[in-house]
Amino acid sequence: MRQFLAIFLKELTDGVRDRRSLLSALIFPISCAAAVGLLLSAVADLEDGAGESVLPMVGAEHAPQLVAFLEEAGIEVAEGPEDPQAAVAAGEPVVLVVPEDFQERLREGRSVPLQVVRDRSRHEDSVSVKRVTTAVEAWSGQLAAMRLLGRGVSPELVQPVSLSTVDLSTPSSQAAMLVTVLTMVLVLACFFCNMYLAIDATAGERERNSLEPLLLNPVRSEVLVLGKFGATVVFGAMGVVTTLGLLVLSMRFVPLEEVSLRIALASAVVPVFGLLMPVTLLAGALQLLIASGSRSFKEAQIALSLVLFIPSLPGLVFSLNPMETPDWMQAVPVLGHQLLVTDLIVGEPVSGPWVAALVLCSLLATALLLLATSWLYKREAILIAK
Amino acid sequence: MIEAQGLHKVFGDVVAVDEVSFTAKNGLITGLLGPNGAGKTTSMRMLTGLVRPTRGTARVDGIDASKLEVRRRLGVLPDRPGIYPRLSARENIVYFGRLHGLSGETLQRRTQELIDLLDLVRVADRRCSGFSQGERMKVAIARALVHDPPNVMLDEPTNGLDVISTRAMRRLISRLRDEGRCVLFSSHIMQEVAALCDRVVVLAQGRVVADGSQQELLDQTGQDSIEEAFVSLLGGEGGLQR
Repeated sequence: MRQFLAIFLKELTDGVRDRRSLLSALIFPISCAAAVGLLLSAVADLEDGAGESVLPMVGAEHAPQLVAFLEEAGIEVAEGPEDPQAAVAAGEPVVLVVPEDFQERLREGRSVPLQVVRDRSRHEDSVSVKRVTTAVEAWSGQLAAMRLLGRGVSPELVQPVSLSTVDLSTPSSQAAMLVTVLTMVLVLACFFCNMYLAIDATAGERERNSLEPLLLNPVRSEVLVLGKFGATVVFGAMGVVTTLGLLVLSMRFVPLEEVSLRIALASAVVPVFGLLMPVTLLAGALQLLIASGSRSFKEAQIALSLVLFIPSLPGLVFSLNPMETPDWMQAVPVLGHQLLVTDLIVGEPVSGPWVAALVLCSLLATALLLLATSWLYKREAILIAK
Repeated sequence: MIEAQGLHKVFGDVVAVDEVSFTAKNGLITGLLGPNGAGKTTSMRMLTGLVRPTRGTARVDGIDASKLEVRRRLGVLPDRPGIYPRLSARENIVYFGRLHGLSGETLQRRTQELIDLLDLVRVADRRCSGFSQGERMKVAIARALVHDPPNVMLDEPTNGLDVISTRAMRRLISRLRDEGRCVLFSSHIMQEVAALCDRVVVLAQGRVVADGSQQELLDQTGQDSIEEAFVSLLGGEGGLQR
């Protein structure tokens, strides 16, 4: 126990004094929180950006009452371009075309053909288009209701059904992507923030030639590995806490109420952290094993940056190929963590037995990895193979 | 007391150490002399238990070197002793003391003794990253002696040291002997061995080619200087250049 403490404290001191270890543990949370903040505000802008949008309208002078209605709905109307189709092709989200005989047709009670020119392949325009069509339809509905009332007919007669939608669904596609990103960032934090320390304490120790003197002490290799593992986990946990804190902070600056996202990260911080702890343990053990087996600092760095790819895989696969995930996946370390953290973030309940299974599997894997690492330190090859 | 009995080590198909036997007694300095690649470092690593012999036994104070207990009775300065650059000299020494189970005042006192003995006072609380080669070596020695071991093994302790540091190192080695410890050190420098050793074991190509006092070596080879004796034991100039 004393030896464990000595090794643990020494590695922590060494890690804190190593500017590279400390920086790499801090850079990840900071840059990720900043990126997520930017992403969120971009989504928010997109959603209420339509409110500030300008609608080019060809023949606006023929339909002053429609213009007035649109402006009331928050759509600023501008002079239409000569050639609406060319303008849309050139990047204008949407152009409304009003025919010259607008007033005439209205007076005669004939339907007025209005044209919405858009490019459906450009998804980013759909919010603006939707706003315009909804507004025009609302105006048309209002007009119809007034005409019916003028003839003594209740407008409800021509509207036998009034349809409204109760949305129970998951968040919009943007929100789903955002949740995937958040989850990935959190799981990556478990791997990234302790990576440098894991390398420095193992491959670094070997490269500095301090491993042989260290092994000459009466310390069992299990204790040695546990001490180094402890320091690695502390760095990982610190990284997760910083990442969580900064993410919550950066989301506070974004008016999330205006975005149709259901993200309950702030209220789920503690369970999310609890769920991520086993990943931190697992990541620490895996990185120690790989770095201990590497011949040099550089080799360890290369190998571990490949390991960083593991936690990003599920997110990548699911975003390219959304599918129903079978229950057993919740018990697979790292993958299950991502699934369960996603549930926590969107405020869905997680099932207790699956959490227990996941934690158990992760701890078991961690123990096996630590045993393998201790075995490496028992081999003379750790000193000789260079 | 350090004993090697028929130590044999094969790496792949290379025989690094071939049936090496010798004994280093308490209160004596035993020199392991041999050219580069003669198997000195591998022999020493087998005696510390870090490398398992293919055949033969290595014992320290009668205990098999593979046992953890041996490390308590042994202070070792390895071939390339790295120290922790981000720790101070004192922290480096204290760390190893803790691993040996020392703590509290005993550890502080022992650390200070070594700092005084090795003339590290001026740099004791500085980080080691800026240390000179000599200072690094001193920290490594202090670290190896922190648990006051009865047996000391030094692998080429004067490698890379200047004249002043080399002299200090020789004084330290003599002092360790005078304290009654068993000292085994390896070197490829004859003058050093001649200046220090009570007993010399000459290794060449993994084999013991001579074992005895300096006088016995001179008698065995019929030479009148230890350097000539050494060269003739290695089989002439050609043997050295292997």
